Amino acid sequence: MSSIIEELQSTVKKLLEDGTVGYVIGWGATRFPDRTTPVFITRPEDAHKLVWNHYCVNGTAKYALDDRYPEKKIGIIIRGCDSRAVNRMIQDNQLKRENLYLIGIPCDGKENPVCEGCQHKNPLVYDVLIGTPVEEKINPDRFKEVAEFEKLSQDEKYEYWAKQYDKCIHCYACRNVCPACNCKECYADQYRVGWQGKQNNRNSNQVYGLTRAFHVGDRCIECGECERVCPMGLPIMRQTKKMLKDINDLFGDYECGLNDSRPHVLGEFDLQDRDEFM
Amino acid sequence: MSVKRDENWEPQILAFCCNWCTYTGADLAGLNRMKYPENVRVVRVPCSSRVNPQFILRAFQKGCDGVLVCGCHPGDCHYATGNYFTRRRFMLMQRLLEYNGIDPKRFQARWISGSEAAKFRDTVTRVSQEIKELGPNKKFQEEWYSEGGAGNE
Repeated sequence: MSSIIEELQSTVKKLLEDGTVGYVIGWGATRFPDRTTPVFITRPEDAHKLVWNHYCVNGTAKYALDDRYPEKKIGIIIRGCDSRAVNRMIQDNQLKRENLYLIGIPCDGKENPVCEGCQHKNPLVYDVLIGTPVEEKINPDRFKEVAEFEKLSQDEKYEYWAKQYDKCIHCYACRNVCPACNCKECYADQYRVGWQGKQNNRNSNQVYGLTRAFHVGDRCIECGECERVCPMGLPIMRQTKKMLKDINDLFGDYECGLNDSRPHVLGEFDLQDRDEFM
Repeated sequence: MSVKRDENWEPQILAFCCNWCTYTGADLAGLNRMKYPENVRVVRVPCSSRVNPQFILRAFQKGCDGVLVCGCHPGDCHYATGNYFTRRRFMLMQRLLEYNGIDPKRFQARWISGSEAAKFRDTVTRVSQEIKELGPNKKFQEEWYSEGGAGNE
């Protein structure tokens, strides 16, 4: 592990010294041993501040959206999920690949429950790879939780979600951290249109949850950032995974953020789609 | 709660109808003096793919008991491909709503062409009957409506 950190720090130092990148987004230490924070390294002598350990949980890719027209390339240290986030935003025409310098680093799972089901531990796209690739494994239980939940009765499902959404505090952290939520202006912020009720009651929370699930459902990369940042612990992934499960059932195997250029499911159609509305 | 379930309860159903086929079909049903339930409110949209899934949520919020989206048959879209997007979108929306506890009968989509006045009548009659059996919808409803709406003020 320590050799990976040294390799990472020396690579970043070299990139900053020769001016390939303007700055590098990575993880830095905090005063707690089991917490890290995203850091922006701008000077070569600061490269030693980068860390790489079991607690590097934050997604790094979305910060690039704050700098859409950089003077130099943006260096991002990416794990498997961050590389899919980068692919997501490139496919959504939010980022340009030539503006990014991707420092890939294979990840063996972090302090985050979603990592247990991870199917892409190695970065899918990178300019330089630190360390050696780790073994990938297919997760047979990808939709197990959703399938179990579907067995409940309609009223039980409604009660479950209503209780969950009663906890929501409209902080929009899930939207802010989501790589698929990359609209310049979110519908929830459009106060004059009034799609989103601003009251904190069950109804407007439900509408927010469902609308967000539908907005990102066919583009979700399953990084689990929404659930990680939710201060109230809502099972947000359960909604988007339901969308992905249906897409897999109806339109064939589907995973987002991979290197193929397949458009997202609701942005294309097939004449041979199943027809239930005759 | 002042709302009581009585024998005379009639569901409120919102039907989004494509201007180029279903709306014309509904018009034809009227011209032919066909009788269909009065509890269907028709909203004319330029294409069934104009219907944003948020419209459906909003309809449930504002006290509708059922929502119907009607468009041209696949292949007949006035804009060539609009209803193919509708088909994908609402197959997923129906499942997501069911996952959140809404009966799939409360939100349906149908293809009805401009000449199918009888199909429009039959569809609307059947949907209305199904929703009448399900009873009033309280799920996803705004508080003001579930407490009785304008009738309480």
